Amino acid sequence: MGEAARKRQRQAQAAKSVAQARGASSDRNKIIAVVVAVVVVAAVVIGGVLWINSSKNSTEGTAIAPTTSTTLGPGVVEKLDGVVVSVGKPGAPKTIDLYADFLCPYCKQLQDTYGPQMEQAINSGQLTVRYHMVTLLNDRSDPPGYSLDSANAALAAVASQKFTAFHDALFKSQPEEGGRGYDKAQLIKLGHDLGITDPKFDQTVNAGTYDQQIQTAFQQIENDKNLAQDFGGGNVGFGTPTVAVNGKAISTQGDWLTGVLNGTGS
Amino acid sequence: MLDTIGTLARLGLAAVWLISGAIKLAAPGQTFIAVQAYDVLPSALVRPVATALPLVELVLGLLLLFGLATRWVATAALVMLAVLVAGIAQSWARGLSIDCGCFGGGGHVAAGQTEYPQEILRDTGFAVLAVWLMVRPRSLFSVDGWLGWGRRRAAVEDSAETGSSAALANNAGIAEGK
Repeated sequence: MGEAARKRQRQAQAAKSVAQARGASSDRNKIIAVVVAVVVVAAVVIGGVLWINSSKNSTEGTAIAPTTSTTLGPGVVEKLDGVVVSVGKPGAPKTIDLYADFLCPYCKQLQDTYGPQMEQAINSGQLTVRYHMVTLLNDRSDPPGYSLDSANAALAAVASQKFTAFHDALFKSQPEEGGRGYDKAQLIKLGHDLGITDPKFDQTVNAGTYDQQIQTAFQQIENDKNLAQDFGGGNVGFGTPTVAVNGKAISTQGDWLTGVLNGTGS
Repeated sequence: MLDTIGTLARLGLAAVWLISGAIKLAAPGQTFIAVQAYDVLPSALVRPVATALPLVELVLGLLLLFGLATRWVATAALVMLAVLVAGIAQSWARGLSIDCGCFGGGGHVAAGQTEYPQEILRDTGFAVLAVWLMVRPRSLFSVDGWLGWGRRRAAVEDSAETGSSAALANNAGIAEGK
């Protein structure tokens, strides 16, 4: 073999070993990169799924706190009229109709802001509130159905004169939209914690006794033009919450309640 | 220069996915409502999609941030954007009044408050970034670069773009020739 040929061979070998070395380290880097990437992706996915599920199910295994803002005064009667609950002293001069969904955040806001004032007016014999439980957001819980279950349970509490307490407690501990609501067992437990002992309450909640009537009433409410509100942009329709006086929706901006009580509300 | 543009596109798109994914992940209930509002999926699929969506977005964002498998990730990002735009477009066409919930929020809004054209335009802008990275995935500070993935292709592109590889070849020839 000539000098030149040997030199070429040496060069070729050197080039080959360099390429091998580079290839080996590059392979190792690739393996490391892929392993790290797979681990990170798996961590994000597993951690994410666990977090989302725990967040969605945050009401699971909890008890709804039986707290109420105001206790009903002596002489106040809770009366069932179809699936409407009227709460007031007989002969109270003013009446409002309140349409709300237990899952609706704005309804909770209205309840937080004006609930105590309304209940004071009820206790002092000025006002009767007719509560309409609507199921506008029935499919907004996961699993769906919380609006209906809670409405039915609230109606079941009327017989024990615990409707207002039940209603207030549900708004106070309102579950988040898009998550798990409270199941029937939790609703029953709340009733017991509020002092309901009648076994008929449990049966009514479990059987969904009022479900059909609630849904029928909601259809009528949705189609009632007098209850429609103007949300701007040509969007007119029923929404929650709605307050109505003499069957007609009124604005709940500002001091509407004082207006109603003074007879100047419209 | 082109590498710099690629880097900005990569990091920009990464930021889009990371931010949108994180906001959605932080509010699972809201994300559920947003997905439901498109009114496309059967109710049994709303929760799985609402769970997967933010996680897929975060994974895309992380891979883009580190610049791993950029071309494939950019392709996946483009497919994802196409699906999202299709969702927005069908809501628009059907006259639904929803917010896309692209960066949190979402769900039904008043009829006058929809922003379908803006939302689609914005997603189209993101799609341009994805297309750039599909066509030319090379960028600075990427794991791809560190691994040498796409190096040969990049060299070919360089010679086409600047002719610099010819100069490199000359240098190599001189070094070898002595």
